[in-house]
Amino acid sequence: MRRWLALLALLLAAAAPAPAPVAWPAVRPGVPLVFPRDHGAHPDFRAEWWYATGWLKTAAGQDLGFQVTFFRVRPGLGEDNPSAFAPRQILFAHAALSDPATGRLRHGQRIARAGFGLASATTGDAALVIDDWRLQRRGDGSWTTHAGTGDFGLDLVMTPRQPLLVQGEGGYSRKGPDPASASHYYSIPQLAVRGHVTRNGRREAVAGTAWLDREWSSALLDARATGWDWLGLNMDDGGALTIFQVRDKTGGAQWAGGSYRSAAGVRTVLAPADVRFLPGTRWRSPRSGAAWPVAPVVMVRLPGGWRRLPVTPLFPDQELDSRPAGPLYWEGAVRVPGGRGYLELTGYGERLRM
Amino acid sequence: MAEPLLPARPALWLVLGEWRAQPLRVAAAVFAIAVGVALGFAVHLVNQAALASFAGAVHSVAGSADLQIEARTPQGFAESLYPRIAHVPGVAVASPVVEVAATSGQIRRPGSGGTASGRLTLIGLDPFRAVAVTPALVGVRPGRDGAAIDGVYFSAAALAATGARVGGPVTLAAGGRVWETRVAGRLAGVGRAVAVTDIATAQWRLGQLGRLQRLDVRLAQGADPAEVTARLRALLPDDADIATPAGEEARSDSLSRAYRVNLGMLAMVALLTGGFLVFSVQSLAVARRRPQFALLRVLGLRQGALARLVVGEGLALGIAGSILGLGFGYGLAAAAIDLVGGDLGGGYFGGARPVLAVTPGAGLAFAGLGIGVAVIASLLPGREAARARPAVALKSGADGDAGARPRAWPGLALLAAGGLAALAPPIAGLPIAGYAAMALLLAGGVAVMPALARVLLAPWQAMRAPVPVELALRRLWGAPRGAAVALCGIVASTSLMVAMAVMVASFRGSVDDWLGQVLPSDVYLHLEGVETAGLDPAAQARLAATPGVARIRFQRSIAIRLAADRPDVQLSAQPVGATGPVQLPRVGASATPPPGEVPVWVSEAMVWLYDARPGTRLTLPLGGRKVPVFVAGVWRDYARQFGAIAMADEDFTRLTGDATRSDAAVDVAPGADPRRIAAALTARLPPALAGQALVARPAEMRAVALQLFDRSFAITYALEIVSILIGLVGVAATFSGQTLARAREFGMLRHIGVTRGQVLAMLASEGALLGLVGGIAGISLGLVMAQVLIHVVNPQSFHWTMDVSLPWGLLAGLFAALVVAAAGTAVIAGRRALSADAVRAVRDDW
Amino acid sequence: MTGARPASNPAAVPALEIADLAKSVPGRQLFAGLTLAVQPGEVVAIMGESGVGKSTLLNIVAGLDTPDAGRIRIGGSDLAGLDDDGRTRLRRRAIGFVFQAFHILPHLSLVRNVALPLALGGGDGQAEAAAMLARVGLGGREAARPAELSGGELQRVAIARALVHRPSLILADEPTGNLDHETADRILALLIGESRDHGAAAIIVTHSERAAAQCDRVLRLGAGGLAPANG
Repeated sequence: MRRWLALLALLLAAAAPAPAPVAWPAVRPGVPLVFPRDHGAHPDFRAEWWYATGWLKTAAGQDLGFQVTFFRVRPGLGEDNPSAFAPRQILFAHAALSDPATGRLRHGQRIARAGFGLASATTGDAALVIDDWRLQRRGDGSWTTHAGTGDFGLDLVMTPRQPLLVQGEGGYSRKGPDPASASHYYSIPQLAVRGHVTRNGRREAVAGTAWLDREWSSALLDARATGWDWLGLNMDDGGALTIFQVRDKTGGAQWAGGSYRSAAGVRTVLAPADVRFLPGTRWRSPRSGAAWPVAPVVMVRLPGGWRRLPVTPLFPDQELDSRPAGPLYWEGAVRVPGGRGYLELTGYGERLRM
Repeated sequence: MAEPLLPARPALWLVLGEWRAQPLRVAAAVFAIAVGVALGFAVHLVNQAALASFAGAVHSVAGSADLQIEARTPQGFAESLYPRIAHVPGVAVASPVVEVAATSGQIRRPGSGGTASGRLTLIGLDPFRAVAVTPALVGVRPGRDGAAIDGVYFSAAALAATGARVGGPVTLAAGGRVWETRVAGRLAGVGRAVAVTDIATAQWRLGQLGRLQRLDVRLAQGADPAEVTARLRALLPDDADIATPAGEEARSDSLSRAYRVNLGMLAMVALLTGGFLVFSVQSLAVARRRPQFALLRVLGLRQGALARLVVGEGLALGIAGSILGLGFGYGLAAAAIDLVGGDLGGGYFGGARPVLAVTPGAGLAFAGLGIGVAVIASLLPGREAARARPAVALKSGADGDAGARPRAWPGLALLAAGGLAALAPPIAGLPIAGYAAMALLLAGGVAVMPALARVLLAPWQAMRAPVPVELALRRLWGAPRGAAVALCGIVASTSLMVAMAVMVASFRGSVDDWLGQVLPSDVYLHLEGVETAGLDPAAQARLAATPGVARIRFQRSIAIRLAADRPDVQLSAQPVGATGPVQLPRVGASATPPPGEVPVWVSEAMVWLYDARPGTRLTLPLGGRKVPVFVAGVWRDYARQFGAIAMADEDFTRLTGDATRSDAAVDVAPGADPRRIAAALTARLPPALAGQALVARPAEMRAVALQLFDRSFAITYALEIVSILIGLVGVAATFSGQTLARAREFGMLRHIGVTRGQVLAMLASEGALLGLVGGIAGISLGLVMAQVLIHVVNPQSFHWTMDVSLPWGLLAGLFAALVVAAAGTAVIAGRRALSADAVRAVRDDW
Repeated sequence: MTGARPASNPAAVPALEIADLAKSVPGRQLFAGLTLAVQPGEVVAIMGESGVGKSTLLNIVAGLDTPDAGRIRIGGSDLAGLDDDGRTRLRRRAIGFVFQAFHILPHLSLVRNVALPLALGGGDGQAEAAAMLARVGLGGREAARPAELSGGELQRVAIARALVHRPSLILADEPTGNLDHETADRILALLIGESRDHGAAAIIVTHSERAAAQCDRVLRLGAGGLAPANG
């Protein structure tokens, strides 16, 4: 779940001198997810993303984290503009490499309006292109991605080992006290990754495990929310754990949720009462000044009872600052006892502007 | 003991003594150099400032684009080129741009003053692409950060041109459409009048769907520019071309280069005239001090040292004058920019106020020029001083004139050289040889003056005349040296003044005639900013149906780019009769177009710049293709310096696919009131275009055009007056210089019975004779130099020709004024000699 | 007047030696075969009618004019072998001039006027000039301007200038021509006295019999050259 995308959508929408009356479809329960169609884009909805994160190991045994995200936004501008440049769909991508040797993220981004074959998010199946970056789902069900800057490069193939995980109630995932605050949400955990990472001009083979999140929505965050924390964990025993909370301005949880699927495939939906984030150590960024709780302790009530999961980041500085065009957030590779995955923290350095 | 080149102490004593004794004359010489240096320096400073601000504007708009793909016509090129360019290996970012000329509110006529011209350029960008290539053009919304996709952002000059405020409403008209919107924010750091919006908005609102005018390209790091350029060129359609920032600068530079060089030359004229004044002051000082110099020679000053002393005096004058001139010039430049603008009235740089920046190199160069002129002007007098025979000079005093016959051949040689130089072709597009010819003719004319004066005075020697006049004649005949200097000054300044006056009069006359020929109708209608749309055939029919209109002819012109490094050429659709365009004044031979070929008629500048002589062919980028056309004839055009092409109406419509028109020439029915017709026409315009229409009658247009003409020649007029004044100062210097020496002569005359009034009459006659001889010679020389200006300098600079027209009234008035002024100056300056005691003259004559 | 003239030493180099000088101007021959020798300390008067060529002779001696034939030696240096610059230097070093019309530069102070011959050679000369001014009776008026002086005083300045650089030869062209009788006598005495005191030879061109009477020798210039004048 990458709610900060709504931020971008808000920025873009707020820029319109007079809000264009665009009807973004609402996310309603009871709409089944159909595949492979729902791997592709849903252009009517306001915001959508394809979010791949994972752990990689080099031949030398070095641990790396990676993140590749493609976003699509329908800002509601130029809906009736016949021009081929009309910004009906804006595509945006982030890529980041967490390299403990560097101690900070290497990252890059692309942004373009959809059109002219230079940037596109097609329907029917997943195929995203922004200039030279791409994320595609191949006929055999594997996902390939190519992204990078002059600083680093990612060329990866992610192959699913487990069936995809439909989140919430049949893909209808609530995000706030108001039932209208919801998204369609599914994940593909425990992907097997192979490929190459380029650092400092050197290209090396890597392998590892990844997690792909897919979400689309039109609804705004609740007005009182200031940010959210999200955790996606590939457990060592083959389970998949998703946990999130939406915070209000007191710092406490306004809403929470998630899911757990055991290695055997038994799925449990988590209610707000089943999830607690306890902040733990904070890391203060020397650049932005934000104090990120990079090592929270997460309490989750699973079928077997409450589990206490202390989270350990690969290294503390995995802050990504894409201001002023984009948000400030922390997205990093983390470990818990019995699993590893990615933690996302938003709304700490600055208040969400709505 | 090594002997110094010039013994310092006596030199210093002498120079300081001279300055104490003749402070006014020395001050006049210093001032003359200062004026010349100041004018040249000021013109240079203003030029540099204007160019720098223009280049800065070019760069701020071009940003970090390595090159730009530009459309050859305002219609632009198909947007499908954009992804093809973006995919070329070596291209990092391609930023698509829509650019359209727009107007806001009621546009003002050119020349009616004020900054709210109503004209601006509308640019449509994709901020996601543009932020990587031309970040200066991405608007900033006050109070928010981040690139925004909607809203229109105005530069400061655009706000001034439209009278809009940030946050306030504004109505823009472009491409035949009207768009009402708000000013979302400001564009900083852009000098031109530019408003920027999202490219999708621009395409839609300005009628440019499917078209682009430009692609700004940034190359990938390490890419080979030549290779990538070649790949890009292979993809380009016929209506697009590659431009580089260097090429753009060259274009804007060449737009005004001829004008700026002209101005610089005029400033040099002022410096030269200052040099003449130094020459005359030094000559007179040498002549007056001949006995003193003779004494020094007798006492043991070497010939060479004496020459060096005189030149050293000139050097000191030059240094003082140059320092003064630099300071004065800086102030002049600042005042000029404030009052007249960076183009000194030429109308080339609209918009931003340039900033003066002085480089030490330029200051040193102009100081060096002033010093050099002063030194050179002292060389001849110095040589003369050294050559004088001391024994003779001691005995005969300052009056003594070798009486040597003045030689004519150096002057004649210079005149011949000047004539030859006038025949030379332009160098680097500038009439360098033409300017050299002017300088040589001037120098030759001045050098030949002493000999010429004797020739002119010879027939008068035999005449009987009143006593004062006879005395004056004899004196001038017998002592040409003293008179020569004043003569040279008069000739120099008169000839320069006459040359410039004749050139300006001819030019103005030709422009006036031309206006009469190209504006034969009663009412003219012009639409601004409609390069991509205009009056469609229906609107044309409506206008034609206006009651009282006997005949209406429609016209349209677009700018096309024929060469990457030259400014655009205007292509216009014209009504064409059996022999060619009806309204255009033809020049030279014609050629019959072979059947099936499209005939065009080109302006004189096209022949100069593109060698488009009748009978040759041109290729024009029209309607997306390269169209060959046949040059059928040449016409005279003063409106467009860089070329204009006229094509028949039907051919234009067929080749460009554009049936809209932007201009109309209306002949009213007999008895109808042109003013009413004009109002009726305006009322019948489509509402979208009404705000962009200018309706005028030929008389008004001629008045405005001539007003612009006079304004751009204002500086020339000022320089003419300066040169005349300097000439008169030369006369005054001559006569007052001889005051003391002639006191004895006047005393003697009084003793033998000549009355005071008769002596004054003699002085007046001398002055008048000088004015007469100098005036005749100066006017003749000036007429010759005017021919060089008219037939060599002007065509080579601005690529047009003109008919010679002599301002007889002005010349006659000038002649009369010169004679009177010279006589008056002589009397005033020489009067001191009369009041001096004749007895005391003995004492003063040491 | 300072006293007895120094004895001529036959073995000393003549201050001026002219041999077989000839000069003609357009229309007539001024003189030919002119010979003259003047010893240091000797004062020679040259008389003759107007236009006979006295000034021309002086000009030739001064190196300002060239003879048609003949040889001139000043203090042993032959004029013939010198170019214009050489003659100028010789003039500066070895000759002093006094003119009928004074020829004092009007815009310079007295001391600077007198110092000119030395200053033209690159030196300062004002100390020597002040001393000379004192000798001719104008001490204390170094900074005065020529306009403040009478004719006689101006000629004193000229005499001081003629001697400040210790030349071996003084050339005076009608030095008393512009002065009244009393002043003329005094100036002539001063000139002759100072010349003798400095050991310089002097040639004085004059119309005045009184002036000629003061000199050691009186010669008359004619077509055949210089001849002793009668009386």
